[in-house]
Amino acid sequence: MSVYKKTKDTLQVVWTFLKKPTAKYSLGTLLVVGFISGIIFWGGFNTAMEMTNTQEFCISCHEMRVNVYEEYKDSIHYTNRTGVRATCPDCHVPKEWAYKVVRKIKATNELFHKVLGTIDTPEKFEKKRLKMARSVWKEMKATDSRECRNCHDYESMDYTEQGRRSMQQHSKGLDEGKTCIDCHKGIAHSLPAMYEVDPSAAVNTK
Amino acid sequence: MKLSRRDFIKTNAIAATAAAAGITIPGINTAMAKANNKIRWDKAACRFCGTGCSVLVGTKDGRVVATQGDPESPVNRGLNCIKGYFLSKIMYGKDRLTKPLLRMTNGKYDKNGEFTEVSWDQAFDIMADKFKTALKNKGPTSVGMFGSGQWTIWEGYAASKLLKAGFRSNNLDPNARHCMASAVGAFMRGFGSDEPMGCYDDLEHADAFVLWGANMAEMHPILWSRLTDTRLTKEGSEVHVLSTFKNRCFDLSDNSMVFTPQTDLAIANYIAHYIIETKSYNKKFIADNVNFNKTPTDIGYGLRPEHPLEKKKTGKGGKLSKISFEEYKKSVAKYDLEYTSKLSGVPEEKLLKLAKVYADPKKKVTSFWTMGFNQHTRGVWVNGLVYNIHLLMGKISEPGNSPFSLTGQPSACGTAREVGTFAHRLPADLVVKKKAHRDFSEKVWKLPEGTIPPKPGYHAVLQNRMLKDGKLNAYWVMCNNNVQAAPNFNEETYPGYRNPENFIVVSDPYPTVTAIAADLILPAAMWVEKEGGYGNAERRTQFWRQQVKAPGEAKSDLWQLVEFSKRFKVEEVWPADLIAKKPEVKGKTLYEILFKNGQVNKYPKQKITDSAGNQYSNDEMDDFGFYIQKGLFEEYRIFGTKGPKIGHDLGDYDTYHKLRGLRWPVVNGKETLWRYREGYDPFVKKGEGVKFYGKKDGKANIIFAPFEPAPEMPDKEYDLWLSTGRVLEHWHSGSMTRRVPELYKAFPDAVLFIHPNDARKRGLRRGMTAKVTSRRGDILLRVETRGRNRPPEGLIFVPWFDAGRLINKLTLDATDPLSKETDYKKCAVKVEKV
Amino acid sequence: MKRSTLIGTVMMLSLGLLANQALAEQVHSLRGDNPLDAQSKEPKSMKWQDDRDPISRDYVQQPPLTPHKTKGYKINKNFNKCLTCHSWANYKEAGATKISQTHFSDRENNVLANIAPRRYFCDQCHVPQVNAPPLVENTFNPLQTIKRH
Repeated sequence: MSVYKKTKDTLQVVWTFLKKPTAKYSLGTLLVVGFISGIIFWGGFNTAMEMTNTQEFCISCHEMRVNVYEEYKDSIHYTNRTGVRATCPDCHVPKEWAYKVVRKIKATNELFHKVLGTIDTPEKFEKKRLKMARSVWKEMKATDSRECRNCHDYESMDYTEQGRRSMQQHSKGLDEGKTCIDCHKGIAHSLPAMYEVDPSAAVNTK
Repeated sequence: MKLSRRDFIKTNAIAATAAAAGITIPGINTAMAKANNKIRWDKAACRFCGTGCSVLVGTKDGRVVATQGDPESPVNRGLNCIKGYFLSKIMYGKDRLTKPLLRMTNGKYDKNGEFTEVSWDQAFDIMADKFKTALKNKGPTSVGMFGSGQWTIWEGYAASKLLKAGFRSNNLDPNARHCMASAVGAFMRGFGSDEPMGCYDDLEHADAFVLWGANMAEMHPILWSRLTDTRLTKEGSEVHVLSTFKNRCFDLSDNSMVFTPQTDLAIANYIAHYIIETKSYNKKFIADNVNFNKTPTDIGYGLRPEHPLEKKKTGKGGKLSKISFEEYKKSVAKYDLEYTSKLSGVPEEKLLKLAKVYADPKKKVTSFWTMGFNQHTRGVWVNGLVYNIHLLMGKISEPGNSPFSLTGQPSACGTAREVGTFAHRLPADLVVKKKAHRDFSEKVWKLPEGTIPPKPGYHAVLQNRMLKDGKLNAYWVMCNNNVQAAPNFNEETYPGYRNPENFIVVSDPYPTVTAIAADLILPAAMWVEKEGGYGNAERRTQFWRQQVKAPGEAKSDLWQLVEFSKRFKVEEVWPADLIAKKPEVKGKTLYEILFKNGQVNKYPKQKITDSAGNQYSNDEMDDFGFYIQKGLFEEYRIFGTKGPKIGHDLGDYDTYHKLRGLRWPVVNGKETLWRYREGYDPFVKKGEGVKFYGKKDGKANIIFAPFEPAPEMPDKEYDLWLSTGRVLEHWHSGSMTRRVPELYKAFPDAVLFIHPNDARKRGLRRGMTAKVTSRRGDILLRVETRGRNRPPEGLIFVPWFDAGRLINKLTLDATDPLSKETDYKKCAVKVEKV
Repeated sequence: MKRSTLIGTVMMLSLGLLANQALAEQVHSLRGDNPLDAQSKEPKSMKWQDDRDPISRDYVQQPPLTPHKTKGYKINKNFNKCLTCHSWANYKEAGATKISQTHFSDRENNVLANIAPRRYFCDQCHVPQVNAPPLVENTFNPLQTIKRH
């Protein structure tokens, strides 16, 4: 919550300043001030954006904290042999600025649903899980699993270091032009009811 | 001499290999090869849990070569769990005991000597001497036996006769005391007859299942598979799971509830309160079939009398007093949603969801529980609180509506409970305290009046205390591993075994920690190395034939008990005035009085064959010269068919060998699926509807009992709850399953299941070694934060199968004062980095 | 006493002692040589066997062991991780062993379209193995017709 408040306060100050009439000041002053405030605004914007780009920010909402965060803590992306950890934004927020801004704009929809309380209980979350998962899968598929590839890339894989099955699957995947998410669904979070996605991997229940 | 065991195994192995290798010798004629290829298949009850699956045992050349689920068994229909599938290997651990071993120094018995091979004669000589000395010096209360819910029916029955009639000591208790005593207590208080009214068919009939402290997914896997089947195929069915930590059952759960230990008492009362508050209860059923009662409160925790907690208690025992419905209503009113949710830590909406399922007259509800309820210092109470719910709704004794107490051991029902190998019991629900019951038993056993002592003997935990205190001196442990199971190893178990005043005998197939703690180890035949019978949790009695010979000189528990009785002349154990009441026993041995009594030896030696004409051996029949198992069973059956308590009838011996078991009462060859209800139970007459005939007025008891705290709770120093239990891959103390390589490698050592935050607070990460300490001891364990069990913060779970790290060094010897069953689910510990 | 006799006696005695010790060593519980009242030994670190060929069975009816790690594999109401490779729809693509045909009938022997719900929780019968020698050797003899030579 404090992150929200901070962001809100910063924006408030900037806004008040911008509303003031300009006639009083010379062009030079305006330019200098404009330039400086441009830097401040730019920096502030980015700082604010980066503030929303941390795990702490993500799990400041209980919807994330009690559901997906708990599931993620069980996964290899949380603890593993070497102690490297991928946090929420590493997988869910693009690194490149333009993509990042687009993702952040999309995120306003999430704020909207936060206010509506669309997934504010585990039961509600479970009902929407398939829909949400599908949208993430779709995006990852569309970007050729761009965020995965910040760390994992076919190019950087040493197949001799892989297990029998992974070696087989990865070489095959490479040949067939598959992307990570095609196979690696549900590696960090619980999967939704899968009867529709893979009827052979579940027993249909009502 | 020291090589003989190894030699034996070697020759055995060579013989078997050579026989099998015969097939592969080129040029051998095909007819011969065909015959050699044939495996003889026969049915047997699984050796492990109380589910009572039937398996097919494949033997060839005198060895078990395969086992599989029995497709014809109504219990498991061809399925087994991982343990059951590996039954074929449990008898072949390389360290099987094949000769009696006595602690000796320089060829003489010495309590501190080394285990040395002796003959059976030598073993029984010293043993008889020690028992006789104890009987002579201190009387019958100085001898005792700790038996088993894993004994075959006739082994338990023979032990009961030998101890209660032969030695005239009621110090006979089974390890079932540790697992089912609370269930028994609640059945007797509530219904006047032990064991469930329902049966496994409830698994297909119910709409909703509620698990109260039963991790069925691991402990009763085949019942879980039937429950899963119903949940995944029956529209509208649901599963509610209550536990003090997340376990595999939560994977199928529709309503998952993790509650603070001990608050199950409050949750059950809340549901009763909800049912009354919403007026959902079944008025007619209550009026016709139920009495309302309350039980004394603040009754202590079964610790030693000098313990401060025992001195503080204000109440005592379990004598019920009748109350009105209104009084009952008032008693449960305290347990409203808000209070219960706060106390238990379970969110209100989940409790409400649970209560609604019970209160919905259209939903058929089956409740399951096992050790979460039974191993509880208020075990009898909490069992009863769930009966209250079912009785309020009339959801009982009909398909799908069933309060179902699951059993831990394969014959906790069939042997320990039905045969009555408890310190206070006799067969078919009779008790030593009642003169009429003793009289009847003595009549059946053809003994003089007054043979069976009226005072209940030492129960499990008390036996260990009495060993330590030097009051119990000659002690025989059979078919269990109590040094690994009994609570408070350091203070209350081990000292008694090593007390120089005592002589401890342990019969086991393997060198368990209990065997190692003993003075004399007797090598036992196991499972299908003898003819056997077990009774499972749904009252199903199942038999099997002897499939193979026991290795070396290993002998069945039955042989050991009966053979040992030959060592006692009646004059050495009974007082003259008792003998005078029946002069014809004069000069006889206990063997002649108890087993060659014209009943047990009634059936002569015969050929044992199956319907296909295959022949089987029966070593005990050969040794004693009569069909002893049949004789014992037929005598025992009199208790059910003619005894003072109705509804305990069993079928005849030969029938059980022909089919996959029958659920008692068996009347005119017909089994009973649901007890106490007209149309299902032959003891309920037409027009009676429901009749709880175990009670004189035919009515069951609703018994109010409040929430009371556990004896030892986490505090500043010992800041975590410790819960103990089993895992899927291992049976009990692991003495069989850890000798099966596949099972061992599936779950090699016990681990410390702990919440990641609790681990982090102590500087621990997954895989590190931690020291777990209680006020009574400490052990080292590897940290597991991501395993199959997920404790909440503030609680840890440790399985007890691992002899290498004895968790019973930590557990507290607090028991339910009513059932005398230990609470293995709650004590306070701390966890540190080492 | 002659020196040689003395030496002989000492040797005999020590042999006797050795024999005694050997005998004593034979009777160990699963704690090994660790006395019952001693602290438990530091637990060994064991790793799950990684991907390997199917593990041969000792009898036809034995459920196959899992020849790979299953850490993090979930089986719940929604989803069964095992089936994503072992189902009849997926096994070819995954290069996995397909589920046995025995797994498609219910209690009443009706043949079903998908895995029988009563067999849904695979881990009740199929378990992975750690890399460790057996705790105790087992002398079970598989039939020669089944045993791997």
